[in-house]
Amino acid sequence: MKKLDISSLDVLSLMRFDACTRCGECTTTCPTGGEAQDDELVTPRGKILKLREMYLKQYGLKARLLGAKDVPDGEMKELTSKAYECTICGQCKTVCPAHLDTISMWENMREFLVANNLAPLPAHEQIIKSIENYDNPWMQPRTQRSRWSKKIDGEVKIKDSLKDKPEVLYFVGCTAAYDPNIREMALNTARVLSRAKVDFGTLGNDEGCCGSTLLRTGLVESARKTAQRNIEKFERAVPSMIVTSCAGCFKTIRQDYPKIGRMNVKTVHITQLVTELIDSGKLKPETRIEGTVTFHDPCHLGRHVGIYEEPRKILESIPGIKLIEMERTRDEARCCGAGGGVKTAFPDLSQKIADLRVKDAETTGADMLVTSCPFCYQSLKSAIETKGSSVRMMDLLELLALSVQKD
Amino acid sequence: MPGTRYLKDRLGLYLLFSAVVTSFAAIVLFLPYDTLYLRDRMYLRIFLITIILCVGVFIFGCVYNALLWMRGRGLVGTPERRLLGMIPRVIRFAGRRLGGVTSAFAMDAVYLSKLKGRSLTRWSMHLLILGGFLLMFLLDLVTTFSLDIAKYGPMIQDDGWAKLWIRDFGLDLAGLMMFAGLMIAFVRRFVLRPKIVRTELPDAASVLFLLAVVVGGFLLEGMGIAGRIPGHESNQIYSFLGYAFSSVMPASVGQYYDQAWLVHGVMSALLIAYIPFSKLFHMIATPIAIEAEKMFPSEVRH
Repeated sequence: MKKLDISSLDVLSLMRFDACTRCGECTTTCPTGGEAQDDELVTPRGKILKLREMYLKQYGLKARLLGAKDVPDGEMKELTSKAYECTICGQCKTVCPAHLDTISMWENMREFLVANNLAPLPAHEQIIKSIENYDNPWMQPRTQRSRWSKKIDGEVKIKDSLKDKPEVLYFVGCTAAYDPNIREMALNTARVLSRAKVDFGTLGNDEGCCGSTLLRTGLVESARKTAQRNIEKFERAVPSMIVTSCAGCFKTIRQDYPKIGRMNVKTVHITQLVTELIDSGKLKPETRIEGTVTFHDPCHLGRHVGIYEEPRKILESIPGIKLIEMERTRDEARCCGAGGGVKTAFPDLSQKIADLRVKDAETTGADMLVTSCPFCYQSLKSAIETKGSSVRMMDLLELLALSVQKD
Repeated sequence: MPGTRYLKDRLGLYLLFSAVVTSFAAIVLFLPYDTLYLRDRMYLRIFLITIILCVGVFIFGCVYNALLWMRGRGLVGTPERRLLGMIPRVIRFAGRRLGGVTSAFAMDAVYLSKLKGRSLTRWSMHLLILGGFLLMFLLDLVTTFSLDIAKYGPMIQDDGWAKLWIRDFGLDLAGLMMFAGLMIAFVRRFVLRPKIVRTELPDAASVLFLLAVVVGGFLLEGMGIAGRIPGHESNQIYSFLGYAFSSVMPASVGQYYDQAWLVHGVMSALLIAYIPFSKLFHMIATPIAIEAEKMFPSEVRH
C-alpha cells in the first residue's frame, strides 16, 4: 500500500483542513472551479474535502482502529490535476467566512503533491528545468537578460547595482527582461524612474529568477535555492530599496523571501514608489491623455499583498484619464487566469478565465484596460485579441510614461 | 521500535487526558442534584455515566485531531511531544492576548463579520445556531452552579427571578435561537438546495442530530408542564416554548417524564461525543486556526 506522506503539509494547513466549514462560499466565486468550469473538485471546498478524505483514510481514527486504506492512484492523480487548475488568485481567501489563508493552503498542497511524487505536472517540467538551468523560465541564456535595456541606452542611465551601488535596485523579472512583447514594461519603468531622477540600477545579467513559479508549483526546495542566490546579490548591492514592476516578483520578494533568508531591505512595487514620487512632486504627469480606463487588480499585488489604492492614484493623477471601476474590483477582482501555472498547463482554461475578465472591462465601456503585472497583461491582451474586443490593453507604466515624457 | 522519549511523551499525554476526564467525572459525580425533578434516581445515574463517557470521547477525539495536526511540518519532535509542548505556549499566548483572542473568537468565529455582508440568510443562520448553542451552554453552567453549588434561592424557588428568567425564559430563548437557525439550515439543505450547498452524510447528520436534541428539549419541557412535574407548576408562560408544546399534550405524558429526560440527556451527551468526528468540529478548529496563524512562527508556513 502506498502511504501518503503528510509531513510536507504544514501544521497550519492541517488545522485549516479541519476548520473548513464546508459552507461553499468559495465555490461560486472561484474563477476556475466555479466560474470558468463547473467542477466542484477544482473549487477550494472540493480540494479541501478530497485531500482530507484521502489522508484520513490512512491517518484518521478509523484507519487507526480498523487499518489504513489504500488511496487509489487514479484519485490522487485526479486531485493533482485539479489542484493545478487553481490560479491561486486568493478569491477564496477574500470570501472565506472562516478566515482561512487559502493561498498558503494551495501552495502547501502543491508542495505535498510534489513530496508524494505526484507533481509537478509534465507541462511545468520544462519551465522548472529552465529556471534551474538558465535562471529564467523562458530557456533564454543568462547573457541576454539585460538586453532589453539596449533600446534606451542613450536615453536612460541604468546603473550596475553590484558595482555602482545605487539607492534603488530595480528587479526587472524574467518576463519583462526576456519577452519581447512585455519588454516595454521594463523600458517604461526605467524611463519613469529616470524622469523622476531616481538613483537606480539593476543586477543586469546577474539577476536571477525570483522563484515565484517554483514556489507556486510546489517546488519549495528549488525556490529556496533560487531565492537564496538573489538574496546574496541583494546583500552585495546594498540598496536602500528594491522595486519591482512584476506583481509576481513583488509578492515573492516581499512575502516569501523573508521566510527563506535574511532580508534587510524594503521591497516595494513600482506603483508604490511612483505614488510617492508623484505625491512629493518629483514626478509630474503633465501630458494630457484623453480616455476612459478601467483597472484590473493583479492578484499578486492586490489580494496577496493588499495594494489597491496606489495604481488608482497614479491613474487619477494623469490629466485627461477617467477611471471607471469594474463591478468586481479590488479584493473582489476576477483573476486574469494566468497565475499558479494555469496558463502553461491549462491554456484553454486560462483563456476562459481571461475572457470573463475582459467581459468585465467591456461592460464598463472603458477604452483601455490597464494593469500592472506582466502576466495579467499577457493573458488579458491575448483574450482581447482572440475576442476581437475593442478595449485596448495597457500597462500602467506605459500610460504614465506617455504622460511624463518630455515634449 | 519506539524510543524511551517517545513512550514518555505518549504516557505524558495519556496521563494528562486521564487527569482531565477524571477531574470532569469527579465534579459531575460530586454534585448533589437536589433540585432535579426525577422520581427515579437511576435515570440520573445512567445519564451521569453516559455524559462522563461522552465527554471522555469528546476530549479523546479533540486530542486525536490535534495530534494529526501535529504530524505536519514546522514543529520539532513527535506529535505527542509537540502537542504537550504546545500547551504551555498556548496558555502563555492566550494570557498575553486574552482580549485579542476573545474578540477574534467573537467577531470571526461567532459573529462571522465577513459573512454578514455576503449573505444575510446564512449569516443569521450561523449566528442563531452557534449563538444559541453558546448561550445554552453558558446558561446551563450558570444554572448548575447556582442550583447545586451555590444553592441560590431565586434559582430554586418556583417564583424566583433567576428561575423564571434564566432557567425558564433564557434556556427557551437559546433553544428557540438554535431551532430557528437549524430550520433555516434544514430548508436550505433539504428543500431549496441551492448549488452552493453540498449535502453528504456528515452535513445531514449534523443538522438532524442538532434538531433532534433541540426539539427533544422542547418536548421534554412540554411534558413537564403538561404533567405538572415539580418545577413546572407555576409561571409556565416563562417557558414559552415548552408551554406551547404542553398545550397539545395530555397530562398523562408526565408519567414518562423520567424516561424522556434520560433520552434527551443521552442524546445531548452523544452530540458532544460526536463533535470531534463530525463537521461540527469546525467550531473548535476554526477559532484555533485563526489564532494559531498569529501564534506560529513564520517558518511553519514555509
